[in-house]
Amino acid sequence: MVYVEFSTISKHFGTSVAVADLDLQIEQGEFFSLLGPSGCGKSTTLRMLAGFVKPTTGQIRVNGRNVTALPPEARDIGIVFQNYAIFPHMTVFDNIAFGLVERKLPRAEIKQKVDAALAEVGMTGFEDRYERELSGGQKQRVALARVLVIEPEILLLDEPLSALDKKMREEMKYWIKNIQKSVGITTIYVTHDQSEALTMSDRIAVMDQGRVLQIGTPVEIYEQPASRFIAEFIGESNLLDGTALDVHGAVCSIDIDGTTVTGRLTQNNAAIKGQAVTLLVRPEMIRLHSLDASEKPKLNGTVREIIYQGSVVRYRIQIGHQHVMVEVANRPDLARLDLDDDVEVYWNADSGVAIP
Amino acid sequence: MERKIPLPMLILAILGFCYLLFPILVVVLAGLTTGEFLTFPPKGLSLRWVISFLNSEKYLSAFFFSFKLALMTMIVSTILGTAVALFIARSRFVGRTALRAFFLSPVVLPGVVVGFALYAFFITSGLGISRTIWGLWIGHILYSTPYVIGTVGASLATFDVSLEEAARSLGASPMRAFRKITFPNIAQGIQAGSIFAFIVSFGQFEVSLFLSAPNSEPLPIAMYNSLRYKFEPDAAAAGIFAITLVIASVLLTNRLVNIRRLLERQDG
Repeated sequence: MVYVEFSTISKHFGTSVAVADLDLQIEQGEFFSLLGPSGCGKSTTLRMLAGFVKPTTGQIRVNGRNVTALPPEARDIGIVFQNYAIFPHMTVFDNIAFGLVERKLPRAEIKQKVDAALAEVGMTGFEDRYERELSGGQKQRVALARVLVIEPEILLLDEPLSALDKKMREEMKYWIKNIQKSVGITTIYVTHDQSEALTMSDRIAVMDQGRVLQIGTPVEIYEQPASRFIAEFIGESNLLDGTALDVHGAVCSIDIDGTTVTGRLTQNNAAIKGQAVTLLVRPEMIRLHSLDASEKPKLNGTVREIIYQGSVVRYRIQIGHQHVMVEVANRPDLARLDLDDDVEVYWNADSGVAIP
Repeated sequence: MERKIPLPMLILAILGFCYLLFPILVVVLAGLTTGEFLTFPPKGLSLRWVISFLNSEKYLSAFFFSFKLALMTMIVSTILGTAVALFIARSRFVGRTALRAFFLSPVVLPGVVVGFALYAFFITSGLGISRTIWGLWIGHILYSTPYVIGTVGASLATFDVSLEEAARSLGASPMRAFRKITFPNIAQGIQAGSIFAFIVSFGQFEVSLFLSAPNSEPLPIAMYNSLRYKFEPDAAAAGIFAITLVIASVLLTNRLVNIRRLLERQDG
């Protein structure tokens, strides 16, 4: 069931276009991420849904209701800000109680709900603390409790992990996802961090310059990127330039420096015979040791750089005038390569994706 | 004890401190003289002129008139200045900085210019408020409000707007979000601005010179008029009371704010 729907939403600030003709449909209970570089319009999109920014054109519907003209307080949407926005002059208890007090709930019920919310985010005992007495992760938990306690229709998260250190970020990533799952709330998550989006989301919309470039599950976005921009933005990519030789349904044969390889065409992509195409292969998909002699494609290359990272070893391999990064698991059964070694480069035919 | 400040800096600080305190010392001691005339150092110490001030119809009424005028000015300036500061901080339009500079211009303009301009306007416009309490009040508000805009503007600059947005999306109307979130967080700026407005109005001379009514003079004008004809120490005694009032108002508001804080903590 479509729960949140953007129809031809655009937002202009003066002459600059922040969001252009956006159409989005978000399912009930879904964890949906807006992913893109800064200035791509993801935050503006979120702020339009929250009611802080009025769209220039278009309509936003939530649960069948047109909310486009409603002020934030009439929308029943909970938002967690990048800096958490904990009210500094109130205790943790009063922060979490704020939305309930605004809803004029009886005192006893407020107390009971706040206590339950504190327990849910693991902050029982912190009722009387002030914002300045909390760590980043604790502020995060309070901000989430303050929003969840009012049981909003939608949860909006605006880069909520970017203010935390790396270790905390990893921890909170799974924590937020688990809370979201157990509450079952429709969630829209704004981030510029592709690993957060891949880990947490049910679906991702990749945005750039005010437009949605691709919508899909993390697997689709990572394995079948619709454009070179997405391939480069999400994860690490080897992009090899070649020419389309032949197109057979979803398979495209590509000439790369005289060697013929095949790439998969996704439903988003089309290739035209004789034109330039780019072949995407992820570093972890490439093998330097053949498992099967018949495996194709096979390109000849030379080791130019070795980066030891403990669990994996990364090699930069020169193929003709192009380079690929290859990530190999550090296992005793795979021989270690040396600089300037000549190697044969393989990958599974399915792992190459042709991008126009 | 470990010294945190380098010695030359410490000496300069002490000198600056003395320099600032000296006029106050002069006024206080001159007001406590036993002699007939305003001199420094005083000829002996007594409460003679303080008692004379307390018995003087002219000074006492001027003192209370100034007090009332400063209070009224403070109230209007605080409300106006806070509204203007909020408007400047929250609206995004071309010429915002120009508008800010414009609202602060009475601080930059010489008081004589502001006083004279208003006087000329009141006279020629036929509003009938030249040399009345109302005209004087308007002049004082005009002169004091920029101080409120300045202090409230400064506290708004450090106020995070997402706090207000968070309150809105939790169900608070714009008015309630302001009252419950924004106001408590900029209250210190408003308080500082209102103290400024009070003190500026209480000590205002140039604007008052043009606008005050003959029968209701603010204290600085009364002191000036008195000193023009006779050099008596009761003017200095009046100064003592003016200084006391200003210090008391600063201490009192500080105390009030602390009490409010205290109550808030216990309430939560």
